[in-house]
Amino acid sequence: MEDCKQHHLAKNDSPEVLPSLIKVITAHEVAGFDAVKQPDDVNDRFKSNGFHSSDLSPKGTETVCVEGQNDLSNSQRMQFVSISMPPSPVGVHLHNTKRGVFEYNDRAIISNDIPRSAVASKNNRQTKFYSQPIPKGPVVNEAIASGKSPKDPGLPPKNPRIDVHKDKRFDSFKTWSGKLEGQISNLRGKHRETEVDLETQRPAEVEILPADRYFDALEGPELDTLRASEEILLPKDKKWPFLLRFPISSFGICLGISSQAIMWKTLATSASTRFLHVNPDINLVLWCSSLALVAIISFIYCLKVIFYFEAVSREYYHPVRVNFFFAPWIALLFLALGVPPSVSQKLHQSLWYILMAPVFCLELKIYGQWMLGGQRRLSKVANPSSHLSIVGNFVGALLGASMGLKEGPMFLFAVGLAHYVVLFVTLYQRLPTNVTLPKDLHPVFFLFVAAPSVASMAWARIQGSFDYGARIAYFIALFLYFSLAVRVNFFRGFRFSLAWWAYTFPMTGAAIATIRYSVVVTNIVTKSLTVVLCAVATLTVASVLVTTIIHAFVLGDLFPNDIAIAISESRPKPSVKWFHKRNASSDNKNGEKFLKCSNSEGKDIVAASVLKDVENSHSHKVLETLILPVIL
Amino acid sequence: MEQKESQVPQLKLLVLTISAKFHAGYFRISLSLCSQALLWKTLDEPSDDVHAFRQVLRLLPYAVFVLLWSLALLSLVSLSLIYLLRCFLHFEMVKNEFLHRVGVNYLFAPWISWLLLLQATPFFTAKTVHYFVLWWAFIVPILALDIKIYGQYFTKGKRLLSGTANPTSQLSVIGNLAGARAAAEMGWRESAICMFALGMTHYLVLFVTLYQRLKGSNSVPHMLRPVFFLFLAAPSMASLAWDSISGNFDSSSKMLFFLSLFLFLSLVCRPTLFKKSMKKFNVTWWAYSFPLTLMAIASTKYAQQVKNSTAHVLMLLLSAISVLVSLVLMVLTALNTNLLLPADDDHIQSHASPSCSLEIIV
Repeated sequence: MEDCKQHHLAKNDSPEVLPSLIKVITAHEVAGFDAVKQPDDVNDRFKSNGFHSSDLSPKGTETVCVEGQNDLSNSQRMQFVSISMPPSPVGVHLHNTKRGVFEYNDRAIISNDIPRSAVASKNNRQTKFYSQPIPKGPVVNEAIASGKSPKDPGLPPKNPRIDVHKDKRFDSFKTWSGKLEGQISNLRGKHRETEVDLETQRPAEVEILPADRYFDALEGPELDTLRASEEILLPKDKKWPFLLRFPISSFGICLGISSQAIMWKTLATSASTRFLHVNPDINLVLWCSSLALVAIISFIYCLKVIFYFEAVSREYYHPVRVNFFFAPWIALLFLALGVPPSVSQKLHQSLWYILMAPVFCLELKIYGQWMLGGQRRLSKVANPSSHLSIVGNFVGALLGASMGLKEGPMFLFAVGLAHYVVLFVTLYQRLPTNVTLPKDLHPVFFLFVAAPSVASMAWARIQGSFDYGARIAYFIALFLYFSLAVRVNFFRGFRFSLAWWAYTFPMTGAAIATIRYSVVVTNIVTKSLTVVLCAVATLTVASVLVTTIIHAFVLGDLFPNDIAIAISESRPKPSVKWFHKRNASSDNKNGEKFLKCSNSEGKDIVAASVLKDVENSHSHKVLETLILPVIL
Repeated sequence: MEQKESQVPQLKLLVLTISAKFHAGYFRISLSLCSQALLWKTLDEPSDDVHAFRQVLRLLPYAVFVLLWSLALLSLVSLSLIYLLRCFLHFEMVKNEFLHRVGVNYLFAPWISWLLLLQATPFFTAKTVHYFVLWWAFIVPILALDIKIYGQYFTKGKRLLSGTANPTSQLSVIGNLAGARAAAEMGWRESAICMFALGMTHYLVLFVTLYQRLKGSNSVPHMLRPVFFLFLAAPSMASLAWDSISGNFDSSSKMLFFLSLFLFLSLVCRPTLFKKSMKKFNVTWWAYSFPLTLMAIASTKYAQQVKNSTAHVLMLLLSAISVLVSLVLMVLTALNTNLLLPADDDHIQSHASPSCSLEIIV
């Protein structure tokens, strides 16, 4: 080892020394490696394509060749790790990775444990080789990164200089990610280059992920759990910026609280519940707090829109999250409905038009997509959260009717009813093409109750009395509620998320509808039903509140990393073909994953994937695995 | 003499080619014209609507309306004749049309046109025996087609609704609803309700199916995109039919009208959907006019009921749009008569199977 080093030093001192093709240098000696560097150095490092090992400049000993990555990912040729023979940086970071395939010409060198000396000694035998392009950019990054921080195996495609430019990784999610420098576009390789170039050159454009991509990459009733085989664009184990972690479903809190405000107002003012002697101040308190919440959450989300527009657009194209874009406007409508009598007795009619305009525009877009748009056909994207896009119509109709308008509310009611029928049938069918419906019960199913209960109230207001149409809708809501309530013990085992707030408002809505019904049909049954449903609704909101507080302050994971928006544009290509697997390390599952993943695509071995796999292992054990380049 | 002899086979050839290239889709023209006639009649008829806008329209001379009606009649008669010829000379083609998932729906189109014309007629009212006889004459084919086609939806193995549903399937619904309205005008309430129920039930099923866009159903080819406007026609027709049945434009009719208005806005916001089909003139363009006209008629009834300015402005706007579109289409057709019948015979001759290209309908 030492003589190698001396050799190197000698080389540095006296250029006329025999050019050592093999240099073993530590990471610290490699310019730009493991240290904060000038951008251009890094650029050069990543821009170099093939190069002869005889290139002796420190820069030239770049191991990474990112050129041709694109070809490689598509090609059927053999793919090699570019471990350039001055394995300098590679050798260095290989000491963590322990594995390498050195391809040159058409001979493969299999090396097991490769300490630097071994590398040096082995490589002494070769005089010439070509460093081949590396197949996978991310692998390179990881390879490089491993030298720096093995604990950070995440996929930082945006910036190799993790220590200084940590947040650059989130640049692609920022608005005008064109601030990315050119080097980063090279980093990702050609096929990503174009994409990143697009990002850099046309910063205003956002990539639209097709709906299929979301379904492929995510699973779960809220489509927020990453599938095992998928990768995300942002580091998994690092806490992302707060704004990136703030989902649109946070507006569910506003929905929950403001609907409670309406319920307590109705309880205080209805004739049939006078026996309860409800204090109207409860409504005032709830209303003010929901007003504050709406303001705060809207402000934060506005910040997200300003600073992380790409993330917002990814949420918009998410099949479940898109429905939550109705939530802010529904919350505002609830606020208008629940306004305490002490604050304002009558609201101006123009307020209704102002509040309904965004809902109307959104639903023009979304319903049109169901019927006419390309990929987002209803049979595929329908999920219980789609009820949120329907409920807005009924809530708007209810508000308009309470303000005294006639035609506008009826318009919205008609549109909502027609689309509700379509959605209801689709969800009940549980079509095989519809993968978002969870097999187990999940609180999202309570959204089924929302639309008929609000529709019954809206129709009653429009018609002026709780007539047959309203009663029919109310009974449907009641039936759905009971059919879910008797299955309450199946609602288990789901991770809490902020969207659960949104699922509390249907219960509150059913309670309010029951109050209205009991005003018309006053007897002991309806009164007791009122009390029971209101109690259940209040209890649910209280428990969700407690859970939220626990998660926020005790557990600290109220806003986990929002995986759902960070999925990659394309499925990661499983390009490793393992021939043997000896020495199953503790991180074997990665290897097995590749084993399973390697399918007919595998025409070549990509040892880079090996590197990646090893990289993922947090142990520094050497994987004694035999890899052979196999061309099938 | 020789010229005469050579003219006769030439004429025969002409007749043969025209009837070969003709298909039921051409009845879109008659649909549009007959519905225009109905629109003018509705605008013109005396009503208790005292709004200024409405009175202005009544200033138009009666003769214009009669002229329009005669034009509609003429077009319908000629188209029917050509189609009759086609039935005699090329019965195989007619059969193929019947088996085609788009073509079969246009077999309703002539009967809808006749019914609309009947409702628009200025020469006798709905209570006369002529009306009664003619209504029966037009309803029987619709009922026969109904039984055949709707029965196929839920009984026959191959032609499932999930696979064959497409926007033109709404024509069958419109046919039933047109019959319902004509019956209601006549005073035959029960038959009206019967046809209405028939139409609405199948409309419900069709609406859900079309919205779902199940994987089995193929997407509409680009040239046929204008038929998306049929989404407006069905609720408008339903609203008019219920208006006639119940006597006034009540909540249900209003809601149906609003639904068609919403769908109209939805389509208008997506002009790129129709871009490809607008490149070259063809008879499918006539598909724009009929639904717009129906919606204009419904808006007229709505304005009559609601009596405020917004409704009347809406009525004027929609009527203007429909008249404009029809005029433009008439002018374009007159200018492009050579494009009316497709030049290449390959499309027509090559269809031997029902699954042939949809271009024969284009």
